[in-house]
Amino acid sequence: MAATNKEQTIALEASGLVKLYKGCGRPALDGFSIVIREGDIFGLLGPNGAGKTTAISIMSSLLRASRGTVMIFGADTRRQADKVKEMIGLVPQEIALYRQLTARENLRYFGKLYGIKGRALGSRIDECLDFVGLLPKADQLVETYSGGMKRRVNLAVGILHQPKLLFLDEPTVGIDAQSRDMILARLAALNQAGTTMVYTTHYMEEAERLCSEVAIMDSGRVLSQGKPGELMKDGGHDTLQDMFFSLTGRKLRD
Amino acid sequence: MFGKLFATLVKDLLLLWRDRAGLLVLFVMPAVLVVIITLVQNNVYKLMGETAARVILVDQDQGELGKQIIERMSRVEMVTAIAGETISEEMAIDLVAGGDFQAGIIIPAGTTSGMIAEAESEVRSSLTADTPVKKGAAPELRILFDPTVMGGFRSAMQNSLAMVLMEYEVRTKIDLLSRLLPEYVETEMKKSAGNFAEYIKVPPFDLKMSTDPILKVRAASASRDGLAVVPTPVQHNVPAWALFGMFFIVIPMAGSLIKERQEETLSRLMSMPVAYSVILAGKIIAFMLVCCAQFTLIYLLGRFVLPLLGLESFRLGPEWEAALIVVLAASLAATCYGIMLGTICKTYEQASMFGSISVVAASAIGGVMVPVYAMPAIMQKLSVISPIGWGLKAFLNIFIRGGKVSAVTGELSLLLLFSGATAFVAWLIFSRRATTGS
Repeated sequence: MAATNKEQTIALEASGLVKLYKGCGRPALDGFSIVIREGDIFGLLGPNGAGKTTAISIMSSLLRASRGTVMIFGADTRRQADKVKEMIGLVPQEIALYRQLTARENLRYFGKLYGIKGRALGSRIDECLDFVGLLPKADQLVETYSGGMKRRVNLAVGILHQPKLLFLDEPTVGIDAQSRDMILARLAALNQAGTTMVYTTHYMEEAERLCSEVAIMDSGRVLSQGKPGELMKDGGHDTLQDMFFSLTGRKLRD
Repeated sequence: MFGKLFATLVKDLLLLWRDRAGLLVLFVMPAVLVVIITLVQNNVYKLMGETAARVILVDQDQGELGKQIIERMSRVEMVTAIAGETISEEMAIDLVAGGDFQAGIIIPAGTTSGMIAEAESEVRSSLTADTPVKKGAAPELRILFDPTVMGGFRSAMQNSLAMVLMEYEVRTKIDLLSRLLPEYVETEMKKSAGNFAEYIKVPPFDLKMSTDPILKVRAASASRDGLAVVPTPVQHNVPAWALFGMFFIVIPMAGSLIKERQEETLSRLMSMPVAYSVILAGKIIAFMLVCCAQFTLIYLLGRFVLPLLGLESFRLGPEWEAALIVVLAASLAATCYGIMLGTICKTYEQASMFGSISVVAASAIGGVMVPVYAMPAIMQKLSVISPIGWGLKAFLNIFIRGGKVSAVTGELSLLLLFSGATAFVAWLIFSRRATTGS
């Protein structure tokens, strides 16, 4: 669970984000605004096509918004992109690794891109692989790993440079219960150590278990935002899933 | 910055090293092609008469002429018997028609004596106008050709044989003149000497005239520094197929970019505190090193392996620095084209198909398969748009014409311009994607 006694510095503030893709009738983001405080695990929930990945891409400075601003620990993601990139980590939805390299070779490469060198890099790689339980298999090619192992290396790369803010785009999709449980436990431990997180998932029980604050979004807008317990209580719902359905409906999003 | 660039370079080399199928395409394909095509073209050159040919000589005459032909046409391997058996006319026709020999010369019986008789008649006729020339005393020589040999070889053979015959004929006529002229002079002088005729005795003439030509022609390849390298299949194919292989780097290069984009590794890279240009530079250098390794491999094949197969050794020549600059410029052009392809294409299949088709087409019109000068006029005009053609022209300028860097600045400029243009297009598309997300 998120740390509650931290100083409430604003880690991320997205204001009035609008994103229009060429050829799309409606905007992917339409006035999207959130505030995330330092130490939070912020769950971004929504059905397919709600705009979660677009929001993460803009907030992590991968994509330029058509309108609106994003500030991360006081730095503008467009004007101070380099400063922002030093502070953030990204765990993409796909296994963003070189499959024909070993886990250690992947971490060494990405570590060097973060400017970590020499022994510091070697010991940090060992720490991260140990953290996700893959140190004994560090020198195996990633392509030989199971889905869960790949997800864990994906996470290890994201935390290699000890980011202040970590973006996780559905980090547990398509893996077994054991691997998911381990990843959630590790994320909670990271949060305890001070890492703020933005977390997208389709698993409501994950969000309930992990997130200190959630935003439910649809059609590019935030429909509701707050602490999961308070939101459920205010809406008279027993579970986050009930609240999710009541806000976004049960209609299929194909 | 250099640490990040070097890390990318090492990573990409490691990935290429582990992609065994990709390595096969990049290294084995051009190596196999250069060996096969050079061997095949060597045979074509043989049919064109550029190399030594084997010719059957059926000498039914058994006179001096046959000996003269064998002696004077020493560049051609003359075969007069097979397994100790004299070759008949029918056998000769079969062997030449079957392609075992490129040509056959048949000297009918009585050729030498007939030729001497006709020559004597000519000499006598020239001395006494009332003596008619006896034409047709000598039978015609026949020359047979393998139907597949090309025009150049046929002309060369016919001309060589005509030269030998002419030389023999002139020498025979000089010998006859030496013998008949004193007889004629003596006879004519006696006619007008009256009573003194019995005292007239003309000594025999001994006209010893060489049949070697006084005016000689020396053929040599035009080269700037006097180094005459004969344009052979090896000198053409080694740089040509090395370039072909080097440009195939576009497929793994484009594939690497597409894979990074599809698997979101690109997103991860873009979220890191490093300029994408640094990552791209590391990638370009890694793939350029592979291109240089490809050229080195094909060069070593040409230098050391092709001679083992009966071909001549590839000569790099003294201007190796110029060659290195062309290798680097061509490598840069190939990798930048790969970047453009990797940026434009959405899938590996698209890049692989378009990449291979465009490289094969550029090779064909650039003169890799058939020299540009041997193409139809329209294709010769088209060849100027092929980056592979620019690279090949630069290499041939260096390896065959002995040119220095200054001789290939035009081709180098074109290759660099092509690199810049393709990189610029890639950058435009990449920037648009980053902005619009489409």
